[in-house]
Amino acid sequence: MKRAGAALALVAMIAGWIVPAVAAESAGSRKDPARAITSQLICPCSCGEILSGCTCDTGKAMQGFVTDALKSGKGKDEIVASLVAKYGEVIRGAPKAEGFNLIVWIAPFVATAIGFLIAAFVLRRWVGRRRVAAQALGGVAGGGMIGAPTIVDQDLARLRARAEAELKRMGE
Amino acid sequence: MSEIGRLALILGFACSCYAVLSIAWGLRTGMAGPLKSGRRAVWIVCGLTLLATIVLERALVARDFSYRYVAEHTSLDLPPYYAASSLWAGQEGSLLLWLLILSSYGAAFLWCYRKRFDPFYDAVAMVVATVMIFFTGLLTFVCSPFRILATPPADGNGLNPLLQDPGMMIHPPILYTGYVGFIIPFAFGIAVLLMNRTGTRWIEEVRRWTLFNWMFLGFGVLLGARWAYIELGWGGYWGWDPVENASLMPWLVGTAFLHSVMIEQRRGMLKTWNVVLIVLTFELSIFGTFLTRSGVLTSVHSFAESDIGPWFLGFILISSTAATALILYRKVLLESENRMDAVVSREGSFLFNNVLFVALTFATFLGTTFPVISEAVTGEKISVSAPFFNRVNVPIALALLLLTGIGPVLSWKRATASVLKRNFVIPAFVGLLATLTGIPFGLHGVYPIVCVAGAAFVLATIVMEFARGIQARKDAEPAAPPVAMIHLVQKNKRRYGGYIVHLGVVMIFVGVLGSSVFQKEAHAPLKPGESLAIGPYTPTLRGVEEKQIKNAMQTRAAVEVAQGGKSLQLMHPSKAFYSKSQQPMTEVALRPTPAEDLYLILGGVNDDGSASIQAYINPLVSLVWLGGLVMVCGTLIALSDRMRLKREEKLLG
Repeated sequence: MKRAGAALALVAMIAGWIVPAVAAESAGSRKDPARAITSQLICPCSCGEILSGCTCDTGKAMQGFVTDALKSGKGKDEIVASLVAKYGEVIRGAPKAEGFNLIVWIAPFVATAIGFLIAAFVLRRWVGRRRVAAQALGGVAGGGMIGAPTIVDQDLARLRARAEAELKRMGE
Repeated sequence: MSEIGRLALILGFACSCYAVLSIAWGLRTGMAGPLKSGRRAVWIVCGLTLLATIVLERALVARDFSYRYVAEHTSLDLPPYYAASSLWAGQEGSLLLWLLILSSYGAAFLWCYRKRFDPFYDAVAMVVATVMIFFTGLLTFVCSPFRILATPPADGNGLNPLLQDPGMMIHPPILYTGYVGFIIPFAFGIAVLLMNRTGTRWIEEVRRWTLFNWMFLGFGVLLGARWAYIELGWGGYWGWDPVENASLMPWLVGTAFLHSVMIEQRRGMLKTWNVVLIVLTFELSIFGTFLTRSGVLTSVHSFAESDIGPWFLGFILISSTAATALILYRKVLLESENRMDAVVSREGSFLFNNVLFVALTFATFLGTTFPVISEAVTGEKISVSAPFFNRVNVPIALALLLLTGIGPVLSWKRATASVLKRNFVIPAFVGLLATLTGIPFGLHGVYPIVCVAGAAFVLATIVMEFARGIQARKDAEPAAPPVAMIHLVQKNKRRYGGYIVHLGVVMIFVGVLGSSVFQKEAHAPLKPGESLAIGPYTPTLRGVEEKQIKNAMQTRAAVEVAQGGKSLQLMHPSKAFYSKSQQPMTEVALRPTPAEDLYLILGGVNDDGSASIQAYINPLVSLVWLGGLVMVCGTLIALSDRMRLKREEKLLG
């Protein structure tokens, strides 16, 4: 266990190295206002790239537009609204969560929740049936009727046979 | 020569049809002759496809512009190695590569099972041959790569500049090896249903084939990310582009399968679910090809769009309907042999892990296809891109990260309170410690905190598992810790290979966190002698030059990077203009270190003579690439478990 402790100390040290290394960058990395806007938009030309990283001429022109608009005192919503008015909803990197588009926002989480519910339901049913079956056979750990083979007994017998086979192999 | 290629494909189509009919006849009548003959036909299809590929490759390298495909995708000024890799630059060539890999898998499958005279394996070969009919038919009747031009041009159109990168010479074949390889697990699944086969032997074989393909697909995806990082020049490596998503989806479902298949092997449970996952993985592979080829969605990867989309859609519909009907028909065959003992068990955690993998796939699928659905319903064009996927997929992925640590250390059947305490207290403490250490340094935001805590937690569980195993081995046979560790891994390659894969996953999570959340950016037009500041670095423009390289005119900036007044390196971000395709290409300049990458892009040269320089610092991005390699190593270790399994099989009869 000493080695396990030493290994854990090593993990803690690595974690302690990585986290500050990452975190130290965080103070300076908080997005500037222009990037906060352009990282949510798509370049309206056919390149289909996120505007903040787009290097095509259209992208660069739009990045300049956003920077100039911010300098002139316009807010984020106002800038985005003016771009959407000009190029259409297609310029948003993520659709607005309203109307039909709500589906794309809600469905993944609803599906995940339903998946969990089904998994939990199936698990409960299986576990319930298993208990009933075990009780019918006389207990789960060999504590039932004398002589009645339990499920655990059967598993143990299988494992014992396997262990014996392994021992036989090692003896050869 | 083109006639030879065309004839090879026609014969390939005929042999595929013959293989299916012959094997079906043999299975129905129980006669060995038709089965043998059908198997031979699969081999012949592989040989014919190879011949067709050689014919096309010869034409590409020789720049024989009488071939339409060669004229469209190569040019005289293209270096020979890129001419050779133009095989997968266009529609027809990519499909030929698909078929070559598919038929090679068919032949490899028959080679692996050549000594097993069981009709079940013939049924598997029949399913593979059925898929071969589709691809040989497509290449023969719909989009032949051997179409000849009446008047060959003096020079070709050239290769898309995006594909003129060494990474593109290996990324598509590796990705395709993974994609196409899912045909074998799919064929196994269908054959089990067709032949009414029970038992768990086939499931181990499927697991191994899936693991092999999963490794190639994962590695291919990572190579694609690396290519995007270097070639697309936007500072990142994963943009949730439709084609990127298409390659990720089968990988995610394949990962779910590799976990749930363990439950079937150990407990004889989740049989239906596993077949569903196999079918879904294969269908998503075909869907990925459909997305790349159809041009139905805007993508940076849409190199080869055409009108074959409906053929793929039809194939997906027919094959998935047939598979679903078979699953329903053989419902009884797929019933579980056991029941769960407890919710808190490894089986339970794998079940929830499966829910999350499928949820992640569903979210990715919905987001990828939603622009088409929305336009069809509302008539309005919308985009679903990185801002959406980052908000929806990241929380699901973080939940998966936590389960990566929880699942493997829970016992099978039932995890007792003492097991939970023994396995989780220390990792939870390490996770908490990592988070608390980070917060004073400025770690902020729910997702980054959960990611750091989760990564430290998983790392601790992995280290603890190794430490316990090493200790146990040392107790059994005294040896130095490294030797004991090697013996430990050798004794249970599958288990410890899995832990190594998980270690790679943790590294990728940390790398993604560092390089996305903590990325720094600076940009400015610079005149020679001027600098900009980014983090600890000061890049200074020293000059810009223009020169002819191979088949493009390159504009190259010389940027001297200094840190603390000390010059570190002269970097050369550049832009190349390809006259053939009239396309500019960005060539980034990288200064990689284990801690961070300095990433420089030349945006262009302005009218006033200044150069637009964009600089990024991507912290810990090296962990993404290293994590991928660790995952590959872990998978290879897990795959090398065959000898032990064979020994066990022999012992247990």
